[in-house]
Amino acid sequence: MTSPSTLADATQLAQGIEQRLNQVLIGQQQVVREVLIALIGGGHVLIEGVPGLGKTLLVRSLAKVLELDFNRIQFTPDLMPTDVTGHAMYDQKTEQFRIRRGPAFTQLLLADEINRAPAKTQAALLEVMQERQITIEGKAFSLQEPYMVLATQNPLDQEGTYPLPEAELDRFLFKVMIDYPAHHDETRLVNMVLDGTIRASLDVDSLSPVTDGPGLLAMRQLSDGILIDEQVLDYALRIVRTTRDFAGLSHGASPRASIAVARAARVHALFEGRDFVTPDDIQQVARPVLRHRIQLSADAEIEGQTPESVLSRLLDQVEAPRQ
Amino acid sequence: MDLENASARLAPRSPWQAVDLGTRLFRRWAWPVIRTWLAFTLIPYGLLLWLATSQEAWWPLLLFWWLKPLWERPLLAWYSHALFAEELSLRQLFRRWPRYALPGLFAQLTWRRFSPSRSFNTPVWQLEGARGQQLNQRLQVLHRAPSNRSWLMTVVMIHLEQFMSFALMALVYMLVPWQLNLELSDWFFEESNLQSLMASVCLYLAMCITEPLYVACGFSLYLNKRTWLEGWDLQLGLTRIGKARAGTSAALALLVGALLLPTPPAQAQATLPADTKDEQQQVIELLAGEDYMPFDTFTYREWKDQDEDSEDSSIWETLWKKLFEWLTNSESRASTDKPFSIPSGLLWGIVWAVFAGVVVWLLLKVVNQMGFRLPGRQPQNAIPTHVAGLDIRRQSLPDDIASAVNACLQAEDIRGALSLLLRASLATLLQRYPVPLAAGSTEQHCLRTLRQHHGSTPALQFLGDLINAWVRTAWAHRPVQAAEVKALLSRWQSLGQAETAHG
Repeated sequence: MTSPSTLADATQLAQGIEQRLNQVLIGQQQVVREVLIALIGGGHVLIEGVPGLGKTLLVRSLAKVLELDFNRIQFTPDLMPTDVTGHAMYDQKTEQFRIRRGPAFTQLLLADEINRAPAKTQAALLEVMQERQITIEGKAFSLQEPYMVLATQNPLDQEGTYPLPEAELDRFLFKVMIDYPAHHDETRLVNMVLDGTIRASLDVDSLSPVTDGPGLLAMRQLSDGILIDEQVLDYALRIVRTTRDFAGLSHGASPRASIAVARAARVHALFEGRDFVTPDDIQQVARPVLRHRIQLSADAEIEGQTPESVLSRLLDQVEAPRQ
Repeated sequence: MDLENASARLAPRSPWQAVDLGTRLFRRWAWPVIRTWLAFTLIPYGLLLWLATSQEAWWPLLLFWWLKPLWERPLLAWYSHALFAEELSLRQLFRRWPRYALPGLFAQLTWRRFSPSRSFNTPVWQLEGARGQQLNQRLQVLHRAPSNRSWLMTVVMIHLEQFMSFALMALVYMLVPWQLNLELSDWFFEESNLQSLMASVCLYLAMCITEPLYVACGFSLYLNKRTWLEGWDLQLGLTRIGKARAGTSAALALLVGALLLPTPPAQAQATLPADTKDEQQQVIELLAGEDYMPFDTFTYREWKDQDEDSEDSSIWETLWKKLFEWLTNSESRASTDKPFSIPSGLLWGIVWAVFAGVVVWLLLKVVNQMGFRLPGRQPQNAIPTHVAGLDIRRQSLPDDIASAVNACLQAEDIRGALSLLLRASLATLLQRYPVPLAAGSTEQHCLRTLRQHHGSTPALQFLGDLINAWVRTAWAHRPVQAAEVKALLSRWQSLGQAETAHG
């Protein structure tokens, strides 16, 4: 399987994966790009969108193209933490406790409608996401890299849901907004299903792998070597720090967001075939990194502002790096 | 108008007692007036609501609200007849509609639409048929001090209407099964056809109560004012005495005349016969009765600054006091002596100017929100002073750019040279091709925006090459060669000459 050795190879490979996924997920180029940036950058993604836009298809395609293990958990109000992580059970035959591993033991975990489960179940993912390990009965099990949690939530039907706590939101590198495809993309999608080019069901068998886990880790390693000028890094920090004292925001982003912006900007530069980060890379990744880490003030909410509009204003106001 | 047939006791009352009478009138004839309201408004409201829902437009409901004076006319017609023992049928109301609905309607729907005393003033048009100068004088007389409080009653009614409609919406929300997952806040912040429809129906239901009540209260305030001004209570009392003393009406008339003449009481007593003295005594008792001489004692308390009387108050305070006193005095002068004196007009002029200003401001805001652009007003792209953190103002640049760039190159400061050239280029290009840019605009964003607005011109191609050189030097830490900078400089110079030659 292809494993890149140079940055140019990594760029070519990343673009190849992106192209392959775009063939399956029609009209969601931005979503595909952001999910791949998070994956290569070693982060997790929270995807928000109404049902039927291809979230599960995206994850299954990703698993297939990258030859990664994939598990899906449907979060429900009665889901228990052990249903996610696993538990120890007593085996009467051997008269010993046996560890039964939960669905979190995988490489790509789709946590569908994560906000439908109560806080304690959501919290079961905290250790998984941050430390890449699961502790059962006092014994820690490391997870196989690359590892990524893709959680989804539905912006509608908020009745009976449990909003994710800030601590957990902060652990997602990106919050990706998946929206309806454009008219011409939807037309293309329907035509492709009607003429049998693709199936309406979540069939990803036709996809062939592009790379594998080690290839992905090599890409990550190469992206770590991408240059960030001090001025550009300062620009990223100024954006994050401005969120903490900005009109319309009651709660800003943590230092973890600063790290996330820098890391994601590097991968974005890799996709663009550059070995250095520009202020444009910072701007491109700032929105998905920050939109779930900021909290609108009551005034701003009443005025009908959204995190997107506030972030746009913020990015307009923070001066691009000066030389 | 036969006052003796009035269903209510016509006596001078305080404004709030008069409003109380209005509520009593409404309670007594609630169903007939609500029926009248429904008969005249249900179909128009249904049609306008259908229009509003089908076209997702707000103006049909605004139109219904704007026509409120029209909808109130039949209610007043009904009350005015019912008070004097004639309950009109719907057929009669429809038949007589042009007679009572049209006088003064145009004024009430245009420049008098926002009059806070609408319910008080409507009877002057509708019942008295006053118009022109006579109307203005009549209104002036009716609005003389003491205030009738009709504007305050309007404020109360507006609130009552809103509270009732919100309460109805809340009730509907509470009765909706929880399985439908309706959030009350969504009803206010997220628009949908169903929610708009429900809100409109709730508002209409609230109006079924508040509108008849509003008309009744305004009408009773009007009756009360006329009772004060025209002494209806006296007229009724004297008529009663006259009837009781049938045959002695001439003596009664003489008595009243004697009472009104400035004759000393002792002399009058002495010259009148014994029967007349009894009549006089009855009239005096009548006038002294609670119904006819409702003298009230009012105590007003107001805050007074301890230093108010001191002489060291500031000029502004003195000016404010004088202005306030002048306005107060002019208002009282106007209301008593000169109905159309200038200060009163000035005061109203200020109020209307402020109101017109607010309306124009709201209209501009709505036009702006809807994305319309006023004719002759072209969008102006403010030329930014900083792009990508670079100061691109003319005054921040050296007079001779070429010499300054060459000086930087001689000092092997490639970054400095490129920075200077980029600033100069952006300053020139943004003067020539203004585009909306913000302080946070990066170089690439600047280039993309310029290309979007002005296509790919030689100047923008040069800017693209310059930005590439700048990005390589600044962000990739791979400074370009001095020769490349010189080449860019000469391109910039030749572009400048070409631009000068062309224009």
